[in-house]
Amino acid sequence: MYRYDEFDTAVVRERIEEFRDQVSRRVSGGLTEDEFKPLRLMNGVYLQLHAYMLRVAVPYGTMNSGQMRRLARIARVYDKGYGHFTTRTNIQYNWPALSDVPAILSELAEVEMHAIQTSGNCIRNVTTDVFAGCADDEIEDPRPWCEILRQWSTIHPEFSFLPRKFKIAVIAAPKDRAAMRTHDVGLQLIRGEDGETAFRVFVGGGQGRIPHIAQEIAPAVPGRDLLAYLTAILRAWNLLGRRDNIHKARIKILVASLGIDAFREEVERHFATLRREDLRVPDEEVARIRAYFAPPPFADLPRTSGAFDRASLADPDFARFARNNVRRHRQPGYATLIISLKPQGGVPGDITADQMDLVADLAERFSFDEVRAAYEQNLVLPHVRLDDTPEIWRRLAEAGLATPNADLVTDIIACPGLDYCSLANARSIPVAQALSEQLADLDYQERLGPIRVNMSGCINACGHHHVGHIGVLGVDRKGEEYYQITVGGSADEQAALGEIVGRSLAADEVAPAVGRALDRYLEVRREGETFLQTVRRLGADPFRDAIYGAFNAVA
Amino acid sequence: MKIVTANRLSDGRVIYADASGDPVGALDQAGRFDGDAADLALSQAALRPATFVNPYLVEVDGGRPSGRDRFKELIRSQGPTVGNSLERP
Ligand code: SF4
Repeated sequence: MYRYDEFDTAVVRERIEEFRDQVSRRVSGGLTEDEFKPLRLMNGVYLQLHAYMLRVAVPYGTMNSGQMRRLARIARVYDKGYGHFTTRTNIQYNWPALSDVPAILSELAEVEMHAIQTSGNCIRNVTTDVFAGCADDEIEDPRPWCEILRQWSTIHPEFSFLPRKFKIAVIAAPKDRAAMRTHDVGLQLIRGEDGETAFRVFVGGGQGRIPHIAQEIAPAVPGRDLLAYLTAILRAWNLLGRRDNIHKARIKILVASLGIDAFREEVERHFATLRREDLRVPDEEVARIRAYFAPPPFADLPRTSGAFDRASLADPDFARFARNNVRRHRQPGYATLIISLKPQGGVPGDITADQMDLVADLAERFSFDEVRAAYEQNLVLPHVRLDDTPEIWRRLAEAGLATPNADLVTDIIACPGLDYCSLANARSIPVAQALSEQLADLDYQERLGPIRVNMSGCINACGHHHVGHIGVLGVDRKGEEYYQITVGGSADEQAALGEIVGRSLAADEVAPAVGRALDRYLEVRREGETFLQTVRRLGADPFRDAIYGAFNAVA
Repeated sequence: MKIVTANRLSDGRVIYADASGDPVGALDQAGRFDGDAADLALSQAALRPATFVNPYLVEVDGGRPSGRDRFKELIRSQGPTVGNSLERP
């Protein structure tokens, strides 16, 4: 894992002192709210419905046990004993006092964490494949490149006042486990013709009001030129992007209006004028950062584990957990284990301080001191011995963290919605909870197979509804909560936007309607076909009929 | 009738102006104002930026928020409908 050098430490410390001063000037009346707002946002502090909210960055989703314990402590001491993991693999605290934020940031700095650039019109926390360093289809670990991007983009003078926020995701396998093509820039690590690391670059993806899937702008940018190429992209957008209209400011709008070819020419024009030598990451620096992400000292183990096999045979609950939440690791005898933060009827992404402490203990003891945050709002123990999985499962189960539903229909992504968020039109959490309760039968969930239901409380789409296999978007109809349903979205390597299937539904109609769509899928699917494959084969019509047929029959 | 609401500067909690313009935490303690009196109460809250952040008026009917944002205001006054922690109501 990356460790701060003196430069990182100094930057973070200076930033805290600067913010401490800004907070005290705000409290003493020296700064108005209008003056203070952009300053607090650049430090991750929002003002939501009930309180301030602090968003803490978890760079590319990787944490050690000390960091997780510190997150738990902050939840306990400064908040109400819990935190919320987001779709940008960050953690949000819903109740911190403004006057406590400098102290919280100091506590975070002690464990090499911060909240810089988790908001505002800048380059946000870079996300990546949660199975980085574990998956056997990976070309190389993408996280050193994420760290290089983090260092390059942190307090970057040219890119601190962009037209809007800017999000980057990096993957290093043909399979996209990071929703890469929903990002402003998506990077797919490949092997260049010279055998060196290169990147397939996608640009102009994004969700929100006007969703777009990112398009390929360059087939193979050499790793050494990555920062120069990204600088050219950002510069082109920074100069041409719309600053007059917040809804048209994202790079996706510029790319769509110019067309990808014209935008590429624009980028190449800038690329040609850049002093590329200055932006080249020195080979020694790449090697230095890569060393932090070297594989942990795995033991030489047999491919199979007697303990795992015996527990699977003896205990059907463990067997179910193993089927759904334990994933193959490229190192024989090891596995990657998903900790679902979607208990039946729970709040997606929420975790208590005690649970965080337990996860930290398990990471320290069983997973080379490492735990990851997944954009699906779950946690992952990346490198556990198969032999240890029964014990880990038992301890997770005692803490209510062993829900065996990873990637199943109740593994719902949901934003905080109108229960917390000042921008919301409607609540997301209670709708997710109702669906989770209705579909609680795990046999049924396993029969359905992998299905991703995503919910957002407004068109900003923090809950990724456009790319949910089933998407649910909260809308406001004359002060009442209604929900628009989409079908057929996908965030993977065949990324697609869902199709709106009909008029929006009242809150209590959503879960039954989704249930009818799922039953229809079981009726019409072919042997071995996933929900998404069935939608791709048949289109949205059968699901539209299932969702609205009940109403039409009554009408 | 209208009430004045805002978030408190120090901790961001939801507050209302009572009949004399002082901050209170509960909606039922909020002062209710008509017409010009509402605008006056709002401007008085705006003059206390060390307490009231972004004050605005909310329509109420029988003590409950009644305007277009009534549901949002109800949630603001009562807290998240999913409870304040993982312990569900
Ligand atoms: S999607 Fe809307 S309601 Fe949900 S967290 Fe984002 S801004 Fe808030």
